[in-house]
Amino acid sequence: MTPTTIKRINWVGGIFTVFTVICAILWAFPIYWGIISSIKPEDEVIRPYIELWPETLTFEHYWFALTETQIGTWYINSIVTAVGVTVLTVSTSLFAGYAISQLRFPGRTALWWLILASFMVPTQVLIVNHFVLMADLKMLNSWAGIILPQLIHPVIIIVYKQFFDQVPKDFREAAAMDNASEWDILFKIYIPMNWGVTTALSIVIFIWAWNAFLWPFLAVTKTEMMTITVGITQVFDAFGVYYARQLSAAVLAGFPVALAYLLFQRRVTQAITLSAGIKG
Amino acid sequence: MLRNAKRETLIAYILIAPFVAIYGLIFVYPTIDLFFLSFQDAPLIGPGEFAGTENYERLPRDRRFGTAFWNTAYFVALTVIPGTLVALAISMGVTRLSGRVQALVLSLFFLPYILPVSVVFRLWDWTLNFQFGIAMHLLDIFGLDRIPIFKTTTWFMPAVAFVTIWWTCGFSILLFLAGLRAIPKEIYEAAALDNTSRWRMFRHVTWPLLWPVTGLVLTIQLILQLKIFDQVYLFSQGGRPNDNLVMVYYIFQRAFVNNQGGRAAAIAVVLFIMVIIISVLNFQLMRFSERRK
Amino acid sequence: MSEISLNNVCKSFGGVQVIDGISLDIESGELVVFLGPSGSGKSTLLRMIAGLETIDEGELTIGGKRSEHLAPGQRDVAMVFQNYALYPHMSVRENMAFGLKNIRMPKDEIERRVNDAARILEMDALLDRRPAQLSGGQRQRVAIGRAIVKEPAAFLFDEPLSNLDAALRVRTRVELAELHQRMQSTMIYVTHDQTEAMTLADRIIILNDCQIEQIGTPMDVYLYPNSRFVAGFVGSPGMNFLQAELSGTAGKQQAKLGDGSQIELSVDLGPGAYELGIRPEAVRVSATPAATTGTATVVERLGERTLVHLRLEDGTELIAQDGGHSEVKPGDLVHLTFDTSQLHLFDDKGRAHHAK
Repeated sequence: MTPTTIKRINWVGGIFTVFTVICAILWAFPIYWGIISSIKPEDEVIRPYIELWPETLTFEHYWFALTETQIGTWYINSIVTAVGVTVLTVSTSLFAGYAISQLRFPGRTALWWLILASFMVPTQVLIVNHFVLMADLKMLNSWAGIILPQLIHPVIIIVYKQFFDQVPKDFREAAAMDNASEWDILFKIYIPMNWGVTTALSIVIFIWAWNAFLWPFLAVTKTEMMTITVGITQVFDAFGVYYARQLSAAVLAGFPVALAYLLFQRRVTQAITLSAGIKG
Repeated sequence: MLRNAKRETLIAYILIAPFVAIYGLIFVYPTIDLFFLSFQDAPLIGPGEFAGTENYERLPRDRRFGTAFWNTAYFVALTVIPGTLVALAISMGVTRLSGRVQALVLSLFFLPYILPVSVVFRLWDWTLNFQFGIAMHLLDIFGLDRIPIFKTTTWFMPAVAFVTIWWTCGFSILLFLAGLRAIPKEIYEAAALDNTSRWRMFRHVTWPLLWPVTGLVLTIQLILQLKIFDQVYLFSQGGRPNDNLVMVYYIFQRAFVNNQGGRAAAIAVVLFIMVIIISVLNFQLMRFSERRK
Repeated sequence: MSEISLNNVCKSFGGVQVIDGISLDIESGELVVFLGPSGSGKSTLLRMIAGLETIDEGELTIGGKRSEHLAPGQRDVAMVFQNYALYPHMSVRENMAFGLKNIRMPKDEIERRVNDAARILEMDALLDRRPAQLSGGQRQRVAIGRAIVKEPAAFLFDEPLSNLDAALRVRTRVELAELHQRMQSTMIYVTHDQTEAMTLADRIIILNDCQIEQIGTPMDVYLYPNSRFVAGFVGSPGMNFLQAELSGTAGKQQAKLGDGSQIELSVDLGPGAYELGIRPEAVRVSATPAATTGTATVVERLGERTLVHLRLEDGTELIAQDGGHSEVKPGDLVHLTFDTSQLHLFDDKGRAHHAK
């Protein structure tokens, strides 16, 4: 290759890079625009021209959302239900995945097939029956009622099974030589050896649960039991037709998950590729 | 390995018990219940009477069902392939970058996926707002007429599809990036030594090697978009829900607005079967292409 | 007193016999090597002693205690795994202490044993590291340390050197021999590498086809192999095998080779066709016409000696040994002598008969 062709390729490559970066900025612009609009005074927000930076910077909308609306209660509901979904999903999936991967018991194959089959069933088609069931159990408008139907995540068991399958059997044997009980092997060897996956899966399940809309929307009719994703769009008189107020509420609703992502980018990426069946 | 079968079984049962209990209650039972309910003339809550296949027989004549079915199909057409192509293009761009720039650019593209649908709705409702939306300012600049996008039936589905692609693209991008990373560098180096042009490199190296991931992305997107509800519901608020119906929306409407649990269940069964058929077809297709290798 | 004894133990995996009635006594303080090709059952036998595989039939006694029904941890043996199986999330110290904590040993006793083991293995400085921060050789030592702290009746090694590179393997082999000298403990060592077996073992147990082929000291096994299999398996480069026709009467016999040459020897066998085995060091290059001649094809110089690969007139291939300064070049016609006291004849059942 002559020097000129190398130069030409670098030049084309440079354009590609700049183009990609510009696209990325445009792509994320609505998020920026939403945040910026939420810290403008309401009259600035509706000015008929574009201002990329607020003339007057104000947090009054946030103050309003936090003091005058039920957003605090919704926050608590979201945290409790998202944490509940995460803890229950991860623990039950981990134990079941371990049993299927490492132990021999009657019904093992049937259970595995049930899990693979449930992978295909869209939970959205079960909303009617979930609603009836939760009504029968008197769980509508309760944390338990929001949490329970969200616990169907067969993919988590599948991921755990894969990970436990990959642990060389030497470790189990070494532990047996070390007088470890079956419980020791699970809690002191297999779980700690796979902390990375557990953290990653926990973070994405938390994000999924925090973001859930359909079921929390159906399960709750009382405003004080709503999660934040439902509350900010379903309680119309909470914010009125004040765009900046609505946007500040949206920023508050998105903040925890965006923060979780930015703090644990690697883990989130890993868990999401894993959940699609690709080894990270 | 020396095993104590009885003890092992006992431990296994203790470990799977919580999972089996939860799955039995919120998955197996509701799924069976769904089929029973679909043959009943029942309200949402309360007992119903056996109605044979009436709930199903109504569907072909049901105008709203037709709308929901075709809108869903339309929505799938608008999102699955375009969304996959956008994700592929973006990941081709991102994969060329390195270090901090790559991390930053990737997180800009990925961030929307992390946000709750309500936030996505608020952002785009604001961006595309008829009176004050920044997008409308752009239309003004180009001398085009403003459009009340989410109040116009023609524009509704394409706009929601656009927002959906924006929202869910990050997921597909991650899968493509993982796929691109799995292609050995040596292959590109060998191709470069053969004087392969950029386009031929993509066409004859990247594209075929990436095909398994592309297939995966398409399938996941297809099944995901069939189940669309949240965005359509939110953007329809104060608009014309009956024109914008999709399958899950219609299930919701029959059950929770019209208080017809049985009829809602019948629609749910139809969607259920659609998803199962696609999953099974896809599974067979994957097995077929794997055997061909 | 024998530390470990096996009495007619059998095992099969789904109908396939893998251990076929093996009986064996291992003395206290002895280092015994199970040597055999893969699939010979040597690892299975070790794992049966460890308790990682069930014993279908027969008896196992460890330290005078019937053990075939005991759980692995209760057999008073410790094992070093081929891949070490160090718990990656525990420090070296925790790795060694794990087994002791599981039997609720007092803390100060655990502390003492771990520190002792670390001193013996010279890895005091590594105690707080994680396995991922150690080199291959260091991991190997931790794996041994994890066995030492248990102060077991016997150590079991499952091909412990196979994951190390060549140089480290030789060094670790010496260290292991040293360790055995120092601790005087009973050890069973499984390998497919005959050099490891020869250098380490007090006794070698050669396994083939689910059965014991021969038991003996390294030199016994080397000089007086029981069978065609052992003769071929032990020694590097391997023994030469030639077709031979035996004639004459006991005490003064002739073996006629394929190329027509005759070798005089004395062996307790009747006339007939046999396979003749002779190690390369018993085939010497001679300056003057001798037993037979061959054409050199490859000359391997190992420094202190030279291996000459030859082809006899009838095409039979064999390896001869010459001094370090051998002048043989490929293509040369070479005269060969055979050390007739180091000849072995193998009958059609593979049984060995040694020349006197």
